[in-house]
Amino acid sequence: QHKQLSGVTSGCQQGGCLTCSDYNGCLSCKPRFFMHLERIGMKQIGVCMTSCPPGFFGTRLPERNTCTKCRSECDSCFNKNFCTRCRAGFYLHLGKCLENCPDGLIRSDTQRECV
Amino acid sequence: LESERPALRAVIKVTLIKEPTGKPIVLEGLFVGGSAGKAEGKLMQYHPLSLCNNSEDDPPESDFITIVKLERTVTSCLPLLDKARMALAKGAQAVIFDISDDDHAAAELPDTDSLPRPVVLVEAEDAEELMGLVNKNEEARVVIEVKMESKWPFD
Repeated sequence: QHKQLSGVTSGCQQGGCLTCSDYNGCLSCKPRFFMHLERIGMKQIGVCMTSCPPGFFGTRLPERNTCTKCRSECDSCFNKNFCTRCRAGFYLHLGKCLENCPDGLIRSDTQRECV
Repeated sequence: LESERPALRAVIKVTLIKEPTGKPIVLEGLFVGGSAGKAEGKLMQYHPLSLCNNSEDDPPESDFITIVKLERTVTSCLPLLDKARMALAKGAQAVIFDISDDDHAAAELPDTDSLPRPVVLVEAEDAEELMGLVNKNEEARVVIEVKMESKWPFD
């Protein structure tokens, strides 16, 4: 019979889990952990992390802390509106990822920034 | 008052992608409200929390069928009908809810005609079979059809 368990157990062995189940992984996280929904092939499981993986940023909400995706043109960010590293083909300027740099600045492909 | 409409049963045929010509696994479920109909796609699990207002992820592919294992302990962020609509809006050809561990779920889903594509409830062995495939990451294609109840009593 499928098990719904709390804390760390077989099938959802993660330190940050508060409750978890074999099929969904973490269902809720301990305080200060972020819930990240990870897709592995056809599966999608909950994972509790102290910090979100690259490409995501942590959002603290009353009901739960979650990892939220950065904008599509952004590889890593503080939040939805402040990128720290752009995807290839985009250039960082004032926290935004631009395809073209403003006048007076040029594109640096190595840093992916307007310099 | 519209007479209570009998819930139509769904036939769920599952074929493993690595054995496309293999004999399909045939399971059953219950259509929600007026959502009965045919659908086909690749089985794709969604975590219950992925169907909340603030959640966003890249829809996997064009034709996929979402399966969600509902859990009693997950504080519901949205009514189940809205979760179904959200899953369909994310591009799912149909949504399957495993309600084995959430006995309130069925009651939460009114007899509605507002669902654009099939939504099916499964439980017990049928659900266990589907979630077993998911757990082993056995990629599978699913065909959902309306079960034809035989009228002839001696069948």
